[in-house]
Amino acid sequence: MNRALGLGGLVLGFGGAFVGICAVLAGLRSNRKELVRLSRPYAGVVLFGAVLAVVAMQRGLITRDWTLKYVADHGSSTTPPLFNVATMWSALEGSILLWGLILAGYTVAVATKFRKRLEDPLVGWAMVVMFVVCLFFFGLMLTAANPFQGNIPPPGYDGPGPNPLLQNHILMAFHPPMLYLGYVGFTVPFAFAIAALATGRVGEGWLVETRRWTLFAWGFLTAGIILGSWWSYEVLGWGGYWKWDPVENASFLPWLTGTAYLHSVMVQERRGLLRVWNLSLLCATFSLTILGTFLTRSGVVESVHAFSGGSVGPILLGFFAVVVLVSVGLIGWRGEQLRAPGRIDSPLSREGAFLANNVLFAVFAFVVLLGTVFPLVVEALNGDRLTVGVPYFNRMTVPIGFALLTLMAIAPVLPWRKASGELLRDRLWWPAWAGVAAVVLGAVAGADGVAPLIAFGLGGFAAGSALRQLVLATRRQGVRGLVGRANGGMVVHIGTIMIAVALAASQSFIRTAEFDLKPGATAVIAGHTVKYLDSRSVEKSNRVELRARFLVDGKKVFEPSLNKYRLTGQTIGTPSVKVGPREDVYLALTRAPGTSNPAVGLRVIVQPLVVWLWVGGTIMVVGTVLALFPGRRRNPLDPVSAPAAPEVEGDGPPSDGSDEPDGEVVPA
Amino acid sequence: MLAVVVVVLVVAARPAPTKGVSDQRAFALATQLKCLQCVGESVGASQAPLAVKFRQEIDRQMRRGRTDDEILNYFAQRYGRQVLETPPSTGVGALVWIVPVLAFAGAVLVLAATFRRWRGERADLTPSDDDEALVAQALADRRDGGGGSS
Repeated sequence: MNRALGLGGLVLGFGGAFVGICAVLAGLRSNRKELVRLSRPYAGVVLFGAVLAVVAMQRGLITRDWTLKYVADHGSSTTPPLFNVATMWSALEGSILLWGLILAGYTVAVATKFRKRLEDPLVGWAMVVMFVVCLFFFGLMLTAANPFQGNIPPPGYDGPGPNPLLQNHILMAFHPPMLYLGYVGFTVPFAFAIAALATGRVGEGWLVETRRWTLFAWGFLTAGIILGSWWSYEVLGWGGYWKWDPVENASFLPWLTGTAYLHSVMVQERRGLLRVWNLSLLCATFSLTILGTFLTRSGVVESVHAFSGGSVGPILLGFFAVVVLVSVGLIGWRGEQLRAPGRIDSPLSREGAFLANNVLFAVFAFVVLLGTVFPLVVEALNGDRLTVGVPYFNRMTVPIGFALLTLMAIAPVLPWRKASGELLRDRLWWPAWAGVAAVVLGAVAGADGVAPLIAFGLGGFAAGSALRQLVLATRRQGVRGLVGRANGGMVVHIGTIMIAVALAASQSFIRTAEFDLKPGATAVIAGHTVKYLDSRSVEKSNRVELRARFLVDGKKVFEPSLNKYRLTGQTIGTPSVKVGPREDVYLALTRAPGTSNPAVGLRVIVQPLVVWLWVGGTIMVVGTVLALFPGRRRNPLDPVSAPAAPEVEGDGPPSDGSDEPDGEVVPA
Repeated sequence: MLAVVVVVLVVAARPAPTKGVSDQRAFALATQLKCLQCVGESVGASQAPLAVKFRQEIDRQMRRGRTDDEILNYFAQRYGRQVLETPPSTGVGALVWIVPVLAFAGAVLVLAATFRRWRGERADLTPSDDDEALVAQALADRRDGGGGSS
């Protein structure tokens, strides 16, 4: 029953996408608008199919329908309800099903948003691209990654449940859907980019249409990544939140190119420049989501969250190749029309800074991609096995991070077209002092080492610059000074800076120690005392928890546990963290007390400023939401750039009032 | 100022030492080694039996006064190059270090050349009287129309 329902849904989705493509293409070719307008109902069919399949899967999981192979392999009668729902995305086939659902949702959203302009060839082509991507994923589910394979369970069968790591923390229920909302959301701007190329309407209109979609997807991707690192901190038991694991990198790569795009698109909107580059960035972002899915779903790289699965790998790789070829081909074909009419006058200008930003983000993405695939490439070339691990990524990306922080400090105060040294000196005065203050305060607080102090200094500088913009904007416009792309963007910057500072502090000043503690014994680390009180066993439906109690700093009791899952026999720890604004004290059990040895194994990690990672992440998301709202409408004749003529140099920069962070450009 | 406020809260601490015997040095070394029994974890992060054994060995060697390099080489010789988290700086492996630097240098050079070309072009682009008139006209319309169409 569930199987039939699910397969029916998949066939419906596949068929809806296929007929949708045919109808729209036929309509565009013969110029029959009623056919092109069919894209909306067919998008509805695809979504209906996806919902049907998801309902069938959830019903199978909830009723423990062992005749579904997926449920038999990954479900279990003892999984708690929330994680039972989340089981759908805890393995390969189900995660593709979630992908399909979100993709279908986006397709309907696009059709609804543009319902009045469906017959417009640009929207028509975008719908075709959305349908093609839907067709691919539903096709994948009908063939290599079928979530509805049948199974004949032996009598009295019970499944093993999802990977214990994935049912150990509530964040697992939210992190993947967030991430997918981001990942899949990049399909929309990609679809419009391809549509612009296909129709030859490569002007600025389509950009304005898709800016919010990109920002929306970017916000979810950011939230997904932060939740993922929070999960890893709360669950994995080594006090880390990011380890440059291939799967983490796969989610980070589209984030990097997406971030680059969100910046450089402003140059195109304002000055009409960088058209090829922006189209390439959108295509690259979408391709990287597919490449990331290939890397993590094909089993070619090893990682904690990689699912391996037969023939899915080659199919995804093939799709990736098609996407890249089509993008490159179209951009090459339209090359002439894409040539920008203008040019950048001076490197020391807003657009010059965006260009530098893009070089840095592109190199950043390149480093991450290279580091991720390099072991594979070398092994394929000459059979050598080597590891590209955390030290590599840290050493390569820290300088890029510093450069980005520097840009974050300077770029927001730069006017378009051209800036003078005097103007820079004027506007960077306070931010620079904030940077100096940050270094001094860091040093006074006892931080040493060059790298963290540089990070603090640049962080203070950049935060000063972002705050200066926000203060000026709110002084002018009140609360509305926090809304809109530029102002919301500054809020996002502040969140990013917090994360950068927290990263620098927690990575540089981490202290770790392991202890064997008998009941009543006390461990001392970095000025904190940890006293072992006692431990007990707690029986849960799916696991046995060994909970140990520790008194930290003589004040509060913390209770880390070791959870032994009955069905798999795996033991997963749940750390307990004393969270503070200054530093976290992280307790993780490493060994349960035995009958012969009553001591408990405990790892204590003291890390400064970790909590500011999550605060910073939240601020980034809030900033993204603020940036999604339309900002103040800019009068098209307001002066926005410094005088371009060279002879007026030093001739009084425009007052701060005109240094409006670019508001929304609303085409009349 | 937020970052500044945050920075005030940094605790007194020092980066990991490279000499002597200490937990900090041991863990710094352990994170340089890949746990061969686990999936994508370092020896420092893992509780797998081999990782625990590695950490005991690090401790032993540290107490014998070995340098960081000597300790890491010991593991590399015994378990193969892939046990080191840092890719090599010689041979094919060095490419992973060199290529990004070259890519960055290339991008900067291309940009510099482009700006140079643009600067050269700009010399012969000055607004003509017609252009000036157009701008004046637009501004006048703007004033009369009181923010009409643009």
